[in-house]
Amino acid sequence: MGIRYIKEPELIDPVMIAAWPGIGNIGLIALDTLRRSLQAEQMAYIEPYDFFYPRKAIIRGGELVKLDFPASDFFYHRTGRRDLILFIGEEQPAEGGGVYAAGSMAYDMANLVLDVAEKYGCRRIYTSGAAVAPMHHIARSRAWAVPNSPELIAEFKGYDNTVLMSDIEGRGGEGNIAGLNGLLLGIARRRGIDAVCIMGEIPIYLQGFPFPYPKGSKSVLEVLSKALDIWIDMEVIDELARQSESELTRLYEKLPDEIKQQLDRLKESTVAAAESEGLITEDDKKKILDDIDKFFKHDVGGEQK
Amino acid sequence: MSGEEAIRLSGSPDLKGSVMIVAWAEDASNLGVRAADYLLQSLGCREFGEVLPEGFFPMSGVNVVDDVARFPECKFYVCDRNNLVIFKSSIPRMGWHRFLTSVLDVAHRDCAVKEIYTMGAMISPAAHTVPRLLISIVNNKEIKPTLEPYNVVSDNNYETPAGQKPTLSSYLAWLAGQRNIPAVNFWVPVPYYLVSTDDPRAVKRLVYFFNSKFDLGVDFTTLDSVIALQNNKIARLFDKSPEIKNMVRKLEVGDGLDGEESEKLAREMAEALK
Repeated sequence: MGIRYIKEPELIDPVMIAAWPGIGNIGLIALDTLRRSLQAEQMAYIEPYDFFYPRKAIIRGGELVKLDFPASDFFYHRTGRRDLILFIGEEQPAEGGGVYAAGSMAYDMANLVLDVAEKYGCRRIYTSGAAVAPMHHIARSRAWAVPNSPELIAEFKGYDNTVLMSDIEGRGGEGNIAGLNGLLLGIARRRGIDAVCIMGEIPIYLQGFPFPYPKGSKSVLEVLSKALDIWIDMEVIDELARQSESELTRLYEKLPDEIKQQLDRLKESTVAAAESEGLITEDDKKKILDDIDKFFKHDVGGEQK
Repeated sequence: MSGEEAIRLSGSPDLKGSVMIVAWAEDASNLGVRAADYLLQSLGCREFGEVLPEGFFPMSGVNVVDDVARFPECKFYVCDRNNLVIFKSSIPRMGWHRFLTSVLDVAHRDCAVKEIYTMGAMISPAAHTVPRLLISIVNNKEIKPTLEPYNVVSDNNYETPAGQKPTLSSYLAWLAGQRNIPAVNFWVPVPYYLVSTDDPRAVKRLVYFFNSKFDLGVDFTTLDSVIALQNNKIARLFDKSPEIKNMVRKLEVGDGLDGEESEKLAREMAEALK
């Protein structure tokens, strides 16, 4: 079990950005967009065998020609001042069949990722995921920033369209980040590395569906662009977001009127607005989820709820 | 726990260029285990080791099957005079890579295994009267010609569908390939209405292959009796229920059954074959 290096580039003062799949694949889409935009090159990977069962066998003419495992790859990009290491995990190593990482495998994988960060002297790590929010899919997603150290709070307060957990109505600065996108923050803290999880908002009614949500990914990219002081080509993510919104609106129109009326109220809901009376309450949220759940007969899961 | 710590052996068998046959529990109609048991009994094999369960099974209690508490078992048997190793095992729930690596360590280091064969069932919509196919998937082109004399179907194309996972047999064959050990995954289609009971014809198809290829001298009398007994029970069911008989006839000519018919056939057949 371990890390296999394809190449070991010399990097200047690198920052690491990591993502695994989660609700709406917000972090994964953000990081993959970044990787493509920067044309980052692969430098290493984590051997899959102790973390994953193979996901696909390919048989041709009666011969097993390939057994495919979920990839956990490191990429690098030189900016000339503060270089980047990207880590993209195609699956979270989940014990007991869950979607999110848990148990010793999750801990081991987080430590392997951090081993690479330490080897290259990364002083900061970003992870990325989804923040489930009482919002409508026609609204702009905000980014929620959760640092692993109070010293980082001031920096993120200054970014456009970015909120802290304490800015979210009813949370009192508390919450939970499920899986490796959250676990990495805690283990990085133990190793003395600054880390921040940037979560793009996804409407509450989409949290149980296997749809990607690129609008949330874009909000993550906007924060990363600012925090890393790099230009990111948003053309592709903008197009994905347009397609996604159009598809969601098409599905939305098929919802029964009663559910649509409930969801329409989310169009008015923002952090500021939610503080006013008469908008979305916890009971409303519960009813919306119950109605949606009944309509699609679909189990819902959570990442940041 | 390392791979070596996962294994407990009571001495290494004295084998050279041996063959390993692998059977997994929880197979449709328990095919692999039934075929392995028939070989074990026919050949007088002895147990010589096991993969210990810790790290591979949740240890959160025991399953009760047929009124009896069951604990996972992953055991190696040897038939010295036939140069044959049989590994009969519950399917591990975790630590698959280390589990399979441990099995291959025993195969390679302790048994000098030169070929590995796994046995498994696939669920078929065909009738039980249709002769059983033996379908092979190899991890190495070179072993394919050695199967030709045995009427084996060996030209399948397949990709694991989305939402499903490859079989443990595929995983074992792939890891064996990494060690240059040729491996064959055998799959026998079992009629869906026999999945919860027994398919002795499918058992015979597997045992017959091994007997033919490795000249084991297996006596098929007992297995033939089991087949005859099942035939009698099914014949009695047909006498009692022309409707069931008609359903099987439809399957024989390739006509499908609707959901309700399929369920009824499986239910009545399970009851008749108890």
